[in-house]
Amino acid sequence: MKTFLLRLREANKISFFSLWLLIFLYAMAFLADFIAPYPYDLQNRDYALCPPTVPRMISGGRISRPFVYGIKIINPAFKQYAPDTLATHDIEFFRKGPERKILGLFRSSTYLFGAGSGKIFLFGTDLHGRDVFSRILHGARVSLSIGVIGVSISFVLGLLVGGISGYFGGRTDTILMRLVEIIMMFPFFYLMLALRAAFPPNLSSVQVYLLIVVILSLIGWASLARIIRGMVLSIKEEEYVLAARSLGLSSYRIITRHILPSTLSYTTTALTLSVPGYILGESALSLLGLGIQEPHASWGNMLSVTIGNLRILTGAPWMLIPGFFIFLTVISFNFLGDGIRKVADPRNW
Amino acid sequence: MEKTLEISNLEVSARDGKKSFAILRGINLCAEPNQAVALVGESGSGKTMTAMSVMRLLPRNLAVDRGRILLRGEDILAMSESQMRHIRGKVASMIFQEPSSYLNPLFTVGSQVMEAVKNGEERFEKTMKMFEDVELERNVYFQYPHQLSGGMQQRVMIAMAMINNPALLIADEPTTALDVTTANGIVLLLRKMMDKYGLSVLFITHDMSLAASFAEKIGVMYAGRLVEFSDAAGIFKSPLHPYTEKLIDCLPERYAPGSRIRTVEGSVPDFRQLPGGCPFHLRCPYKITLCTQRKPGPTLIGTTTVRCFKYGDDGQDS
Repeated sequence: MKTFLLRLREANKISFFSLWLLIFLYAMAFLADFIAPYPYDLQNRDYALCPPTVPRMISGGRISRPFVYGIKIINPAFKQYAPDTLATHDIEFFRKGPERKILGLFRSSTYLFGAGSGKIFLFGTDLHGRDVFSRILHGARVSLSIGVIGVSISFVLGLLVGGISGYFGGRTDTILMRLVEIIMMFPFFYLMLALRAAFPPNLSSVQVYLLIVVILSLIGWASLARIIRGMVLSIKEEEYVLAARSLGLSSYRIITRHILPSTLSYTTTALTLSVPGYILGESALSLLGLGIQEPHASWGNMLSVTIGNLRILTGAPWMLIPGFFIFLTVISFNFLGDGIRKVADPRNW
Repeated sequence: MEKTLEISNLEVSARDGKKSFAILRGINLCAEPNQAVALVGESGSGKTMTAMSVMRLLPRNLAVDRGRILLRGEDILAMSESQMRHIRGKVASMIFQEPSSYLNPLFTVGSQVMEAVKNGEERFEKTMKMFEDVELERNVYFQYPHQLSGGMQQRVMIAMAMINNPALLIADEPTTALDVTTANGIVLLLRKMMDKYGLSVLFITHDMSLAASFAEKIGVMYAGRLVEFSDAAGIFKSPLHPYTEKLIDCLPERYAPGSRIRTVEGSVPDFRQLPGGCPFHLRCPYKITLCTQRKPGPTLIGTTTVRCFKYGDDGQDS
């Protein structure tokens, strides 16, 4: 593992950085309860669509403890706010607040930070006055895990079916590939909707989450299986496969040890490239009200509120921040995939 | 004593759509335990396909039509694919011409050698012992194929093939891709393995003199036929088949420096359009009318089996 990291750093600085960025994002998601200053569903009715509060360090020309200004409501009807420069609230770290469960395991009333008696909305608030920063942290749990879990399921399926189909060929190949074609024949989006509609609408948020993962990966494996099959068809003619057969290795071992690892350079890239598809797929479902339901947060459903709402796009651009996080995650995964592809191949050492 | 390998009347054909072409016809050869048998012949004469038939690893469009292949008395052509898995690597195994492409580039060579050892046995120790046997240092275990020289790669291949102590090793031109000194090392290693493990070797090569120096028996193949099968010791002194005669006549070491080396004029006929009669008659200096009409059957002269009308016509068309 250590050599892997060293090699990654040597091979590709950007992908090494991306790896740390992803680790950081996942850590943030993991510790969301602790880091977020507010619960994801706490509504501050008086502060709907409030712009981000900027933490400041300079007061009266001198460096001071970090603080935020209070928020002055200028016009509640038109959601106009201004910083109240007369009221300053120091940012307190490890402050006490209302008790809540962390990771659903233990209760704690310590928060990483907060703004004393004032409000601190690092990324502003949404239509209901909920803190966007806190919601992004909680939404990251859904959005960051849905890609990884979904990708793992569809890759296991895709590698298995593609590997078997390509290696054995003949009738097995015909049957499996026709199955793949049937799945690919349906337009992705409508198949997703149909699958979702096949399940009862009133599910708990955990059930919905699992359902979305399963639906997305059941759709996603088909195209992968097809490409893997094509690669296996050519790899199985490689001489080292013949050598492995001449040693009397079983088909299972030949597929898993010799053929599938050779598809690695493609699969790692495809793997990281398809993570964004899952994040976006989840947001598409959420947009239609079939994904993660309000008040639960995911990057997708936070972003979906902004679609078609010109007032938000022009007047409250901070609500697009979840999109920035999707972008950051996606591009980090892509860079990471690129780096892994280089490092995983011993010929590049 | 039971023969390690016995091939009788092997016939292999290729199918191309509805048409079928003869690839191998009437192959008869055998290898005693601890004996090396060489197969020589030009490219396309069917040497490798004979070997692949023994491993039952023929390409998809090729199939055995007739004949028997016995490995230590067991008929492998009658075996199921799963029974065959216990033959490959354990009774018969194979090494190849281009060791670099027969090793998986993604794994250390040690793990590839160890792969064929059953779980539960002392796998690592066994592998290490085999590395010693093929004269490789222990740390080679952790190297990748591309980090090794051609000779070392071939040694790794031999270690892989020998790890389960098979009775027969098929060496398909194991030295062709190597330089002369390295090649010599590999040949010496094969001999050492034979002495140590009582191994039989089916040695496939282009090189007549290498074959004669390494093997006890030599089979000369031409256009999918074993035209002569004789003792290696006698073949240089008294080659029987005209083709063997010509091949020996081409050896460069038989010529003084500066003189012109004779060749076998013409080339091996395409297996899709073999001439009628003896396949060699187009290039044969002793051709008679009978050669263009019928295929010569096997004739036994002393310990040598030869297929040529020069040594009489036993009346059977093969």
